[in-house]
Amino acid sequence: MTESNRFWTVFVREVQSAVRTRTYIALGVVTGIVLFALAHAGGGPAGGYVPTVVDTLVAVEVLVPTLAFAVGYRAIADPAVRGELDILDTYPLSTWSYVGGVYAGRALLLLTIIVVPLLALGINVATTAGPETTVFASHRGVDSPFLFIRFIALTVLYALSSLTIAFLLSALAGSRGRALVLALAGLLVITVGGDLAVFAGLDSGVTTSTLGGALAMTPAGAYRGLVFDQVLYVAVPGRSAFVPTWVAALSLLFWWGLTFVGAMLATDAA
Amino acid sequence: MTGETYLTADEVTKTYGDVTAVSEVSLDIPSDAVTGFIGPNGSGKTTLLRMLLGVERPTSGTVSYGGPEAERQLGYLPQRPTFRPGFSVRETAGFYADLVDDDPDRLLERVGLEEVAARPVSGLSGGMTRLLGIAQALAGDPPIVMLDEPASGLDPAMSRLIFDIVESIADAGRAVVLCSHELPLVEETADRLAVLESGRLLRTGSVESLRKQTGGPLHETFTALLEQDKATIAAPEGEQA
Repeated sequence: MTESNRFWTVFVREVQSAVRTRTYIALGVVTGIVLFALAHAGGGPAGGYVPTVVDTLVAVEVLVPTLAFAVGYRAIADPAVRGELDILDTYPLSTWSYVGGVYAGRALLLLTIIVVPLLALGINVATTAGPETTVFASHRGVDSPFLFIRFIALTVLYALSSLTIAFLLSALAGSRGRALVLALAGLLVITVGGDLAVFAGLDSGVTTSTLGGALAMTPAGAYRGLVFDQVLYVAVPGRSAFVPTWVAALSLLFWWGLTFVGAMLATDAA
Repeated sequence: MTGETYLTADEVTKTYGDVTAVSEVSLDIPSDAVTGFIGPNGSGKTTLLRMLLGVERPTSGTVSYGGPEAERQLGYLPQRPTFRPGFSVRETAGFYADLVDDDPDRLLERVGLEEVAARPVSGLSGGMTRLLGIAQALAGDPPIVMLDEPASGLDPAMSRLIFDIVESIADAGRAVVLCSHELPLVEETADRLAVLESGRLLRTGSVESLRKQTGGPLHETFTALLEQDKATIAAPEGEQA
């Protein structure tokens, strides 16, 4: 039995568990309804991919971490409370295989809940928008499905980072009650806390020239900046570098890697 | 009856802030034998068991494994085993068996749960949940199996069944360690006893040798030992035996 087989065993159990939990199906349906309602309320799908992204971006920015915390806030806390982690300590199962397997299973669930409605929305745009949206953009001012695919890819990165943060807090919680409190606090920090901290910093060091870089340091700021920089730029002629692209991309990867390692260490100590 | 030493605790101590849960306990766990930890509530039985398992780190002292090479060295049944809801008995056994390349059906047969293999774990009685916990503890054939209160809160028939299974586990050559308050069953099942109180190891020895000290059944021996210990602590220095 290899470590990868054990990872697979843990991953398969997570997926089976997710498939059997009806709440997750409901979560996916609600996500789809919210995204379609917002997009159609703004008239996005008839206008094209970029208008649809504009209509849904703010909601996605809040929905993604909310869904990530819903899926992940008890991922480690629950087995710790049940005593399952103590039992698994007696098996030749590394922390990496366990946390990695649980994370991979829940990430697949989370991405299904987020990506399926977004893809459906993309198909909706393709079938309702004008013919000018069917080309692949090579220059500013041209709408394209490629831009929507970029939007989905950036959303996936944001979702994965949000999920590792949820995992870290779950591993630190130690009880279901604390897991819920930490999840709500973490959600607030991700959705508004980061931006507020940066804007509070305007009084002490952050200048208008460093504002973009500072915003890119927070997961939500990095995601928003990347969407502006890589998707919505076509709608803003003459404007580019909303945030430093590499800083924002590295920031999301940093949050993902740092909190994943943190979640493993915290699980080890749990 | 008892074989080679599979596990050795050397002066292990565990403190939580100002509270000492286990104090300088040294102990050998032999193969082919059931070693029972007995003592009043809060005497440090579970903490000692968890340190021997390696899930709790001693504040000082060491625990060393001296058993045979094994993919999984220790099996563990916690005090209140709880399994992930939404899965059947067989699926649950299958998850643990898959981690060590074992056969879940063999594990379920070993504890007599094959008839309820399709039942969801949430539909199991307390006793059956404990049996599933024992099946899990046996996955991968670990040389040492540790059981924390395997029969607490169960009816006499189920307690009897669980202790019969515990006995058969040791008959297969393993070292079995159990904490229990079921003194009559421990007396029948255990080959060796370790009596703990207030985190200290008062005595170790065979059931017979401890019984000889008072001449009565185990619960009398147990009470006598605790009273002896209390008298020793209360006596002024110089008067202690």
